[in-house]
Amino acid sequence: MDLALLLVFSTPLALAAMGELVGQRSGVINIGLEGMMLIAAFLGVYVAKSTGSIPLAFLVPAIAGAALGLVSGFFTVRLGADQVVVGTAINFLALGATGLAYRSIYGTSGQLLDVAAMTKFWGIDGMVVLMLLLIPIIGFAIYRTNWGLVLRAAGDYPKAAEAAGYSVSRIRMQAVVIGGVFAGLAGAYLSLGVANSFAEGMTAGRGFVAIALVTFGRWRPLYVTLAALLIGYCQSLKFSLQESGVPAFVIVALLILSAIAVLGVVLARRVHYRNAAWILVFGGLAVSALLNLPKTVAVPSQLWLALPYVVALAVLIVVGKGTVAPGALGIAYKRER
Amino acid sequence: MVGLFAILILTLLVLRLPVGDSLTLLYQGAFGSEAGVHRTLVRAIPLVLCGLGVIVAWRAGMYNIGGEGQFVAGGIAAAAAVKPLFAMAQPPAWWVVFLLAGAASIGGGAAWGALAGWLYVKRGVEVVISTILLNFIALQLLVYLASGPLQESKHQLPLTDRLSSGMMLPKFNSQTDLHVGIFLALLTVVAVYIVLYKTKAGFCLRLVGENARVARANRINSGQVRLLSMALSGGLCGLAGGVEYAGVAGQLGSSFSQQWGFLAIPVALLAALNPIWLIPSAIYFAAILAGSKTMAGFVSDGTVLIYVIQAAAVLGLVAIRAYTSRRVIQTEAT
Amino acid sequence: MLCADGLSKSYGAVRAISDVSATFADGEIHAVLGENGAGKSTLMAILAGFARPDSGQVSLNGIAIPLGQPFACRRLGIAMIHQHFTLVPQFTVGENLALARLDGLAKPLSVSRLAQPALEMARQLGWQIDPTAPTGSLPVGAQQRVEILKNLADNAHTVIFDEPTAVLSPDEIQDLFRVLRRLKHEGKAVILIAHKLAEVLAVADRVTILRHGKFIATAPIGDVNEEKLAQWMVGDLPSALTHGSADQYPSALYLRGLSVLGDRGEAAIRGLDLEVGRGEIAGIGGVDGNGQVELAEVLAGVRRLSGGVVNWDGKPLDETVHTGYIPQDRQSDGLALGMSIEDNLAIEGRTRTELTRGAFLRSGPLREWSKGLLSRFDIRAQSVSDLAGSLSGGNQQKVVVSRVMDLRPELLVAVNPTRGLDLQASAFVHQQILDAASAGTAVVLISTDLDELAGLADRTYFLSAGRLTEAAGASSMVGGQA
Repeated sequence: MDLALLLVFSTPLALAAMGELVGQRSGVINIGLEGMMLIAAFLGVYVAKSTGSIPLAFLVPAIAGAALGLVSGFFTVRLGADQVVVGTAINFLALGATGLAYRSIYGTSGQLLDVAAMTKFWGIDGMVVLMLLLIPIIGFAIYRTNWGLVLRAAGDYPKAAEAAGYSVSRIRMQAVVIGGVFAGLAGAYLSLGVANSFAEGMTAGRGFVAIALVTFGRWRPLYVTLAALLIGYCQSLKFSLQESGVPAFVIVALLILSAIAVLGVVLARRVHYRNAAWILVFGGLAVSALLNLPKTVAVPSQLWLALPYVVALAVLIVVGKGTVAPGALGIAYKRER
Repeated sequence: MVGLFAILILTLLVLRLPVGDSLTLLYQGAFGSEAGVHRTLVRAIPLVLCGLGVIVAWRAGMYNIGGEGQFVAGGIAAAAAVKPLFAMAQPPAWWVVFLLAGAASIGGGAAWGALAGWLYVKRGVEVVISTILLNFIALQLLVYLASGPLQESKHQLPLTDRLSSGMMLPKFNSQTDLHVGIFLALLTVVAVYIVLYKTKAGFCLRLVGENARVARANRINSGQVRLLSMALSGGLCGLAGGVEYAGVAGQLGSSFSQQWGFLAIPVALLAALNPIWLIPSAIYFAAILAGSKTMAGFVSDGTVLIYVIQAAAVLGLVAIRAYTSRRVIQTEAT
Repeated sequence: MLCADGLSKSYGAVRAISDVSATFADGEIHAVLGENGAGKSTLMAILAGFARPDSGQVSLNGIAIPLGQPFACRRLGIAMIHQHFTLVPQFTVGENLALARLDGLAKPLSVSRLAQPALEMARQLGWQIDPTAPTGSLPVGAQQRVEILKNLADNAHTVIFDEPTAVLSPDEIQDLFRVLRRLKHEGKAVILIAHKLAEVLAVADRVTILRHGKFIATAPIGDVNEEKLAQWMVGDLPSALTHGSADQYPSALYLRGLSVLGDRGEAAIRGLDLEVGRGEIAGIGGVDGNGQVELAEVLAGVRRLSGGVVNWDGKPLDETVHTGYIPQDRQSDGLALGMSIEDNLAIEGRTRTELTRGAFLRSGPLREWSKGLLSRFDIRAQSVSDLAGSLSGGNQQKVVVSRVMDLRPELLVAVNPTRGLDLQASAFVHQQILDAASAGTAVVLISTDLDELAGLADRTYFLSAGRLTEAAGASSMVGGQA
């Protein structure tokens, strides 16, 4: 298993999930994450193609993500509209807007749109480093600053934040915009760092998986990143194992699922989630040691493609919603009087 | 509807398309000829059926955005159920095929939807997340099956066996795609309307979605109602897949799904989750889809145009609702 | 010295307080007494800046203070300890204390430093507070201490306690009184909202009584006794008891050793015994949160019991007994506000054989039935298609009552059925309950409104911490079990 490849694949997921984590900690679920990533993915390629500047190609999508965060926050936080409906609309907007822009700028021939690969050292680049740095950075912001305390209060029990003199809607807007910035970076990295190209609908559910990762990672930066590594690992399998055989698939799938089952048993005995998450992630990663498996019959890559989603779903089934979710998650806050 | 029209024009303006010409072309493509009308109506069929699925789930408070996966699951179940028929010496009549495909597709879609419902009720997994994950799983399953167990008998293309025209739903005109499934769609609208508004079960479904605590205080089991609503919703989306298979596609491949399950969400939202209003809403978007074919010079594919219009329309609707409800709250508070 | 001068405030058509004046002196515990809905909480909300009066003035040491600005009032030294805590249950105690006095947002968080003054105060008050304990897992009394500490530390000189004893055990109440007296001796003005006479007599120096939003009297505590206060609070007790004595009713509902768990798995009802006969109205008083909702829900078949016996005519109570349930909160448990009146009535209608055919609802008869209820119960709406949410509170409650009362239930469970209603609507609901009882319905009336219980109930019990005690006479009931 190529560790650098694993990190590269996990980075878009981890960045997006980290932004989503900040938003959810403030009480807002951003269903439109998928769409924000898609728009950012397109903008990244577009800016990189037209200016040749990689920093700009990340800056512009990040700003676009923030702007989309503002729009979605206006509806969900300021107007108190249903977060699922607004997020769904953002996703449609992204599919339509990127589709139209892509076709009008690059034509409809469907030819591959190549972007120069990002400069990498030992297979990793700045965004991978950022992903790893985000664990302490977001952790610090949430747990070790006054802002983080108010943020968590807004997500758990907004009345308390209001009683302490802080505007719940303002702090939630800030969180949603931060989530947008990370969605932007994640999307841009997906097209520039992973695919080196743009294709319509290329996010292929990564935004939704990122939302699931926040639940899976128990709303904690470290676990969310580790969960992203597990799913990123599943995604990278189709490349490292494309030509490998059915036995490999079965073994890998069984190992991952058994790791999840172990988690289930652990949970049933009410062991702390912390330990459970560790067991799960390392159970999954330990599989990589067994990767040099007999390469016999070619297996359709679709099964590999479906694996990340199956694993994400299986994990959610096992961990359920649990009791650590922010208390006011998904609930619009209306001030009294 | 006026608002929808305004949003269409606005979108055209934003895209810097000539509004007059575009509208003329859209209209001609959608309603200008028999072929155009048929093109519109055949697209309205899956939108209506999936839209009904969305309505049934959302009315119960279940944010099923997995119509796409349930549509695909329905198609897969239909193709699997029909597969043995290809071995018969004499191809069976279309209605035999359809009865089999229809029943199987409802079952397949219902199972796919009920899975998400069960996860919500028993494990607290948000339906929004589980249904979207199940979408991707269903899509990959489809591609896998089409090139694996369900592959056509010559094992050359990643497609299932193609239904002969005699086995498919009869068409009104052999030159166009419109098939008798349109009657089924209309019948289903009526059926869903009756279930929602004229039966005890439908009443409980709406009550649970509107206020689950009232339902509880009156001894209605919300979990059970929600699970059933997801099964019904999945069944309707699955039926859409079965009708699409037996009426238009005739075989399954990676392009079987044309995003109907997704497109139907805003269609249903803009119909205010009402089965009757769903018909004009579906025809409106079907017309844009069909009409945009003639606009190929401006926009290559109607789907992307529709995404933008749907998004703008939904956000507009949300904003209007938020403002009106806010006004109500303000007048009550003072 | 805090002075309220001619304060009036209305919420919609309901007049919460009208022309209330009072003076709260430093170094004194001043109790504000009144029944539920007497306007105590509105008055305090105005003093602390949480509500803006329609007319009137509040002044602090002779200087008018800004109205409707809670943070300005807090800076001026007016602290309010709410009955409903503003604590984040997921936070540690220290984090909650820190949240109340953050020094700007863009700073590293130092919980121990920020919580220090409050913890120091806790030490002075003789409270053992563990700042690392998760707040939500603490007993209610300990949570209240955190809430008090949260609001006290910024050198408040006027401290308002909004019904602080409602959730406390007797020991905790004694400790709270100790703290109130201590604050008084430090020279602070302490305002205590209460509705239990015994407590007021035990701790207050001066008492002000409100009734139906109006100022009744202010007196030093030495000049009053329980009877006097009860009379001021309740007015002349209604000459109620339209029913005979309890013994004459044929027994029907029989509860023995009932135990019920609350939403968080806590023991809400612990070993409750009760018998209610046909035609009898059993009144159950007491402060909210002592198991009222759980008791009602068990009787209504909505909540499972964890132990004991609930029998009807000697057999376990089940859905074959026609039970009517008027839940406490009509807006969240009683009505689907986004649905039409007709739909809200159909909640009951769907169970009627004459309104249904197999799995189907019969639209025509259902509509006729709904219209009939509208006119019989005098529900003011343009048509049965109006949304329930568009009705006034009284008419909303009438929708619930009409649906429950239409076919006389054998057992009626009503929780605070007239809360928030105006006099006419209240009288209507009361008459419905009396009519039902006269027709032979066994009624369990759970209410915090003492007028209501005194006026309707044949026997009244007091529900406290999940147990019943029999209360004889209005004044001891008002005095409660403090």
